[in-house]
Amino acid sequence: MNKLSSIEDYEKFKHGMELFLKPPDFSVGTTPSEVIFSEDKMKLIHYIPTVEKPYPVPILVVYALVNRYYILDLQPDKSVIKKLLDEGFDVYVIDWGYPSGVDRYLTIDDYVNGYLNNAVDKIRERSGLDRITLLGVCQGGTFSVMYAALHPEKVKNLVTLVAPVNFDTDKGILHIWAKSLDVDSIVDNYGIVPGDFLNAGFLLTDPIRLMIDKYVGLFEKIENKPGDKEGELRNEETVKNFLRMEKWIFDSPDQAGETFRQFMKDCYQKNLLIKNEMKLNGKKINLKNITMPLLNVMAEFDHLVPTEASKPLTEAVSSLDKETLVFPTGHIGIFVGSKSQKEVCPRIAEWLKPRSLLDGTGEEKPESAKEKTSEQKRKNRRSKVIIK
Amino acid sequence: MEKSNFESTQEFFDMWLKVYNATTGRLVEMPAMGPAREKSEKMMKGFSTFVNLYAAGMDSISNFQSVFMEAMRRVHEKTATELEGEISPEKCKDFYKIWIETYSETFKEFLKSGHFASDMRKLNSYLMEFQKYNREMLEENYLKPMNLPTKTEIDETNKELYSLKKTVKELTSQIKELKEKK
Repeated sequence: MNKLSSIEDYEKFKHGMELFLKPPDFSVGTTPSEVIFSEDKMKLIHYIPTVEKPYPVPILVVYALVNRYYILDLQPDKSVIKKLLDEGFDVYVIDWGYPSGVDRYLTIDDYVNGYLNNAVDKIRERSGLDRITLLGVCQGGTFSVMYAALHPEKVKNLVTLVAPVNFDTDKGILHIWAKSLDVDSIVDNYGIVPGDFLNAGFLLTDPIRLMIDKYVGLFEKIENKPGDKEGELRNEETVKNFLRMEKWIFDSPDQAGETFRQFMKDCYQKNLLIKNEMKLNGKKINLKNITMPLLNVMAEFDHLVPTEASKPLTEAVSSLDKETLVFPTGHIGIFVGSKSQKEVCPRIAEWLKPRSLLDGTGEEKPESAKEKTSEQKRKNRRSKVIIK
Repeated sequence: MEKSNFESTQEFFDMWLKVYNATTGRLVEMPAMGPAREKSEKMMKGFSTFVNLYAAGMDSISNFQSVFMEAMRRVHEKTATELEGEISPEKCKDFYKIWIETYSETFKEFLKSGHFASDMRKLNSYLMEFQKYNREMLEENYLKPMNLPTKTEIDETNKELYSLKKTVKELTSQIKELKEKK
């Protein structure tokens, strides 16, 4: 029995290796889209709506500079973007690109008041609206908060997803390390901070699981039943899913040095943003200027951005219409976890729908979105979400 | 080398460092003389930069080794009785689970400590200093004599380009605003 089990495990491993010897084709970010605007390395991507008449207020998704935006559109069945489109929204995403030596002097001001502001203006111009919805993710959420505080007249709704604003916490390992980091010596030496340097830091947050257990786990999932065609299809899907995630994890753009310097020093080390003391190009960012509706979404088991880093935003803004959602998942799981796919996006969509209509016009909801609403509400009542 | 942990390694290295600082370290820090004084002094500075990095690296290695030892001790504590008798694949899988969990938790405990944070800061700073020194030497001894652009020069150009681009963007935006006003 034991020997048999050993042989089975060996066969499983062998089969896994065979799958890797002829790896399946896989792609990421497959939702149909077009680039409608670009400036330097930044591209503004517009996703083709999937409903005839989307909600009038468009959503601009702002992702972090670290890693790539396509985690939100990793594969058709794990795509925040596709979910939002299917819920009837008009969705745009900023692709920050891969900074090179020429970008080393870009500051947060250039990203927020430059690229982000120009992308917002482009969408306002296309939609003919004065205000749009900003959905900021992780560091992109922090940038969106800065933007909403500096340009409240252009933001109708603000949604932050696992976005840090209070950096003075010892719950997240990155927050602990960042306080001791000699940022100046890193930026002065590299100029453009290598993505691999940051990736090494992310891997160090849990080295044993991220460098060993993750790969063992893959082989554990491989099914080895000769002649089982469905099992083979599942194996192919397992390998594809793994490779997509692996590609995303190690697809880390380098960071513009001056932006990295300011983000680490002003945010992580001095915690200026939540104190309303952070400045961009000499202009103070006052979170009290945020008066538009706010949805602050976070993950309970987030090891990179703990809830302590995100929660204070809800209290710091002046918005009267504000809500906090905490989902029982992790930093990446909130985008790609199958349970999250069923809970997170629908909750965000449900919150956004009544707020994405034109002011005072009683604009109708898109037809396809109408049918889903009641069904979704019923499902969401069952989800384990803490609502503040 | 009777001790079972890595204190001996650390002791040996500390001793080596003390001897280095008292002997060779003093020699390389002597002021240089003669026509090649400047170049020679810069070259000698490389020794202390390297020794700083090496010392910080040894500290880190020694700390990580201690964490490995502690993790191993904890795994042994948890599995000492369970691994008795015939070893089966199931037992191996159970052992693997305990091993992963224990190692992961022990390492995370260490990585969250202030000790690791200050250790990392030191290692990082010395690494940056060492890389900077190497680059400067490369520029000084190879790129400049071959009349090739150095990183310092490229950085200056990039800074100028950044500033020009910013001005162009500001002016374009002002022109647009003025046109709209008309």
